[in-house]
Amino acid sequence: MGEHTKGRDGRPDDTIPPTPDADGSVARARANVYGLLAAALDGEVETLATALEDGTFARLGAELPAEIPTDALTRADLDAEALRVGYDNLFVVPGQHYVPPFASAHADDPSESFESDSPYHDEGAAGELLGDPAATMARLYARVGFEPDRGDGIPDHVAAELAFMSALCAREATLHRGDGDASEIETLRDLQRTVVSELGWLDAFDDAVAAEDTVEGTFAALTRLTRTFVAWDARDGVATDAESDRP
Amino acid sequence: MSTEPDDDERTDSAGASLTRRDLVKAVGSVGLVAGASAATVNVDLDDLWSDDPHYVGTDYGEYGASDVIHTTCGQCNTFCPIKVRIADDGADSGQYSSLVRKLAGNPYSFLTTQPFAQVPYGSDPEDVATGDLEGTGDVDTDRWSLSGGRICLKGQAGIQTAFDSYRVRKPMKRVGPRGSGEWKTVSWEQAISDIVEGDEELGHPGLRDLWGYAPQEAVMADWEAVQNGEMEKADFDEKWGDDLIDTDHPDLGPKANQIVDVGGFRRNFIRTRLWHQGLGSINSVHHAGTCGFSSVLGNVRSHDAPKKRQYPDIENCEYLLVWGTNPMVANKGPTWLAPKLTNAIADGMRMDVVDPRLSKTAEKAETWVPVEPGADGALALGMARWILEHDRHDREYLRNPSESAAETDGEPTWSDATHLVLVDEEAGPKARASDLGLVGADHELADDFVAVDADTGELGPVSEIETAVLDVSMTVDGTAVESVWSQYRDRVFEHTVAEYAEMAGVSVDRLAEIADEFTSHGKQAAIMAYRGPAKHTNGFYNTRAIATLQHLIGNYDWKGGQITPYAGYDTMSGRYELGQVPDGHSPWGIPLLRGGVNYEDTSLFERDDGYPAKRPWFPVAPPQATQELYGSAADEYPYGVEALFIRPYSNNHVMAVAGGDRIPDILGDPDTIPLVVASDTVIGETSKYADYILPEPTYLERWENFGTYPNKRLADEKISQPAVNVVPDARPFEDVLIDLWKELDLPGVGEGAIPDSDGKLWPLHQAEDFYLKLAANIAYSRDPVPDAGEDELRVFRESHEKGLGEAFDLDRWKQAVTAAEWPKVVTVLNRGGRFEEPVEDYDDRFAEYGHDYDYAERFPDSNAYDGEQMRYKLGSRVDFYSEVVPNGKHAYTGERFDPLPRVDDVEHYSGEVQASVTGEGDPDRPLRLINWKPRTQGMHRTTNSPWLRETRPENPVWINPRDAEERGIENGDEITVDAGRREVEGIAMVTGGIRPGVVGAMWGWGRSGDGATAETVDGTTRGPVEADGHTPYRFDEPMTEEAGLAKGRDAGFAINHLQPLDAELGDTGLSDLVGGSNAQYDAFVEVERR
Repeated sequence: MGEHTKGRDGRPDDTIPPTPDADGSVARARANVYGLLAAALDGEVETLATALEDGTFARLGAELPAEIPTDALTRADLDAEALRVGYDNLFVVPGQHYVPPFASAHADDPSESFESDSPYHDEGAAGELLGDPAATMARLYARVGFEPDRGDGIPDHVAAELAFMSALCAREATLHRGDGDASEIETLRDLQRTVVSELGWLDAFDDAVAAEDTVEGTFAALTRLTRTFVAWDARDGVATDAESDRP
Repeated sequence: MSTEPDDDERTDSAGASLTRRDLVKAVGSVGLVAGASAATVNVDLDDLWSDDPHYVGTDYGEYGASDVIHTTCGQCNTFCPIKVRIADDGADSGQYSSLVRKLAGNPYSFLTTQPFAQVPYGSDPEDVATGDLEGTGDVDTDRWSLSGGRICLKGQAGIQTAFDSYRVRKPMKRVGPRGSGEWKTVSWEQAISDIVEGDEELGHPGLRDLWGYAPQEAVMADWEAVQNGEMEKADFDEKWGDDLIDTDHPDLGPKANQIVDVGGFRRNFIRTRLWHQGLGSINSVHHAGTCGFSSVLGNVRSHDAPKKRQYPDIENCEYLLVWGTNPMVANKGPTWLAPKLTNAIADGMRMDVVDPRLSKTAEKAETWVPVEPGADGALALGMARWILEHDRHDREYLRNPSESAAETDGEPTWSDATHLVLVDEEAGPKARASDLGLVGADHELADDFVAVDADTGELGPVSEIETAVLDVSMTVDGTAVESVWSQYRDRVFEHTVAEYAEMAGVSVDRLAEIADEFTSHGKQAAIMAYRGPAKHTNGFYNTRAIATLQHLIGNYDWKGGQITPYAGYDTMSGRYELGQVPDGHSPWGIPLLRGGVNYEDTSLFERDDGYPAKRPWFPVAPPQATQELYGSAADEYPYGVEALFIRPYSNNHVMAVAGGDRIPDILGDPDTIPLVVASDTVIGETSKYADYILPEPTYLERWENFGTYPNKRLADEKISQPAVNVVPDARPFEDVLIDLWKELDLPGVGEGAIPDSDGKLWPLHQAEDFYLKLAANIAYSRDPVPDAGEDELRVFRESHEKGLGEAFDLDRWKQAVTAAEWPKVVTVLNRGGRFEEPVEDYDDRFAEYGHDYDYAERFPDSNAYDGEQMRYKLGSRVDFYSEVVPNGKHAYTGERFDPLPRVDDVEHYSGEVQASVTGEGDPDRPLRLINWKPRTQGMHRTTNSPWLRETRPENPVWINPRDAEERGIENGDEITVDAGRREVEGIAMVTGGIRPGVVGAMWGWGRSGDGATAETVDGTTRGPVEADGHTPYRFDEPMTEEAGLAKGRDAGFAINHLQPLDAELGDTGLSDLVGGSNAQYDAFVEVERR
């Protein structure tokens, strides 16, 4: 990643080179964003309602100048009940608006455990529970003894994955603040990069949510924000020094 | 996604302006909100520094007994014993229970190891799992072992049933109107509370208000007092008004009857215990009406001992006539029936197949007999006439009037052919010895049937006669009697062979050929008949005509003949009396589906001025005509349904009932049925109209005790146990009902619910409390199984911990039985049940002779055979003439049903002819539409599987070249199928494999639930799931062997939605009033090229 992209489209890149996160504030901030997104995408609608009302999402969305419909992120008129119905019918009820909120359903290849060579998946419309991505995530969790309390027991649930990132970032922040061993921090960031690389399915997920959540649009905006933030994080948040040390 | 940021411009722009420091600023206050989620998680980095590799290669597939759980398949109703190979991947993380690596047949079962022998029951599970058992071959040299048994493609796809992303994962409560598709999740506590107490939001009542019960004796005693003028009606109303459905018609029974269960599986738990005795409701309904119910009843009424199905002893059969069923693919055992049949054919058995289409079985037949649909009774009676005319029946057998005479003759069964009928009495009962003054009313032979002794010419009780006269028509002291044989023969001779052949659409020569062949092999000929002849309104009589053909050769219980081995082990009693509920209720009243009750005996007969009754009654069938349920609820006939509990995994009536497309209108109206609760694995076509959908485990995640159909030689008892735990919040419906019943303080659950054999009472708090006791009953039945040793106990713990994760509580399971019973229970569970061995000393012999040896045939101490006969026998009278049937009357006309087999037309309730057998008929459209079970689907419930949809992406319409040519249709053409009230689009498959004038297709397609449909939501249409759309090629042209890509779950059309509606009722399809089946092969259609 990184070097061959510099100045790719000739646009000036005015990104300020990142400075070492000496006090862990960046890691802490990333942990908080991941934690908030995890809560919101785990159906914690009270948290979601609060964040909509106090403009947290809108502020973050404004800083990420992708096509994030910030209007939908400042809705104060949706109460917890409305958000609950919206969340449930998008992510829990396997009915007409359903978008499975876990990676296995959006995988391009069937799980090895299914022992079939057939490419049968329609993104978001078919697929399996607990496929290969779930096994991959479970192994990643096991490496650090992480036991997600989010995601309905499904290891590749978006909420579980984001909560994992939150936990890793929080740990990193703690290490920065203390006398964390540099190599320990780097190992931790390696793991974060691995996790982020497993989040590629959020594109398909976001597209599917956008197709379903067409009226209120709150969850469509939320998944767009999530997708964009994770993309940013992949490039800048958890980038290696070599990658982020750009002009 | 763009975690490789260079690939995506959006990401590029997105990330461009946000620096890490910006983030810190922007996020500022987020921590307040999100803190809780991150702060509580502990991350332990220690493991990262260890030298252990993070991944262990698992490319090789070795595994042991701790990776295996034996249970039962539920993909179709064969219920094969299976082996679940649990995958290791990720299981060590404890994050979720497990994946299933593979499903195979259970090597301990003689069913799924055909054509080989099962492994001995005592075999060490470790040896079996690793393929190291002596006698099973060496994997290294044979590249094969017996560690896994046979399983069909549907069974293998069970992984995709359990791990379906469309599984219902939380209890759900509807938000909009029924069927609107909008739901919200609720906690289990709230769901249970709402169902019990009612809910203002949805405006439905709760069970607490709906339920009422009063004992029958007390109510009816008071009712008699009212009739006698000894009790005021007002007092009666006051006393029983809260508990009875209608105090003007107390015979309808208690209000509990208006709480209806529709399920099917887990009958002994949910129906026997909870519904009947716990709730006191008579209405617990299974799938029978949509299944081969009339076939079952036709067989039941043809035999005195229980015999629901016709199966041959395939191994020794010389001539097999397969009739309207497809055992290579279906009929409760293709996994073992298919290898048995092909081997038998290779060994010289002749098989002919009667079926309007060339099924997979017919393809392998000597002769395919494409009968006219529904004219099976004519074909059978034509065969009977040919047999009688050519004197090919077994006169010696038929002249044995009783068990003792049969025994002398070496026959395990005998018939009623010589028994006399009181022909002048209403309903024509058979004469009893006391009726004709042969003995006094108190004599021990008073109830004996009567025949004419061939030696003396005198009348006598049948048990005192060695040989009786077949043809009898006489008067005894003014009482006219005729022998059953005389009546049957008269019936058979009502038409000539040529007339029967004409009705059946079969040539006289062909009819004669199969009749000749059937009677040319002594006892080693048999018929296997099921659904085809039976799923018409004349299905009961068709089945009777076929069943009685076998009476003519007396092939029952003979090697190579007709077999009936319902051999199993104790399940509901023994160590524990699982069917007993202390202080339980006794259900009573008129069943909602009006089965087993004579309309004329009810108070409704007078109320409604006799005939015709508002809706059909099924007086001589059990109350399982499920097709009548919704219309009955809408008509409140005989009473309304207040609460409906459905488990549509096995009872998806919208798809399964002929005319099921009319159900949503009824189910969708809360005024008709105020409370509808579904327990389902997915949102199906039926459950989508519920008020609540409760997440149900799939068959791989729960308990069950499925029976094996009598197409086997040895005894077995299968037990299903949870092998994986996929959806954490799914709860077996048993557990939910236990909670509901506890809230309502109903008997049968909680403390003191289950008596053991010493009368000690045991609690019932969860499904394990029941099923582990059932396993104990199995373990101790006959000779108790050996105790599981330490290694086996460890294997049990490890495999269940691996499969179920945190859901497995070993100590809690152990509490369900005694400490002494537990090791035997584990022995049974480790093997998925009990399976009788074919011979004594089987393990030694197995080690010596190996798996490829027919022990049952070759050893004299066989457990399958008793000399030239089956060891497990029917051993009873077989009936040409049913005394039971004429006790029932047609509820529209008041005509008595016929005690004999007969040729009958296919009729609506009113008698209007839908399809004529006896005459020409005048259908509105020219082509008869039939359907069949696909080879690649179990039920509607398996269409979620992409593997299975790949094999046949949709259901093409089979049409004969003659019919196709007339219409300018070529193979693969897009066509319209017009059934009059509905029209669907399909694809033509032009084939000589279907009878001219008949078209047909597989059922199981055309779904609109289970994640299948295109929907317009908020003005935005999400198109139907496309044909995978991966390539521009077509992969599914009929009759080509290209591999397919799975189409959507909605592919094809729903065959049951083309069936005619009953002309009188208008809300469901046609019914067989004698046998109870829903008619499913009686639509007439026109087909046009699009």
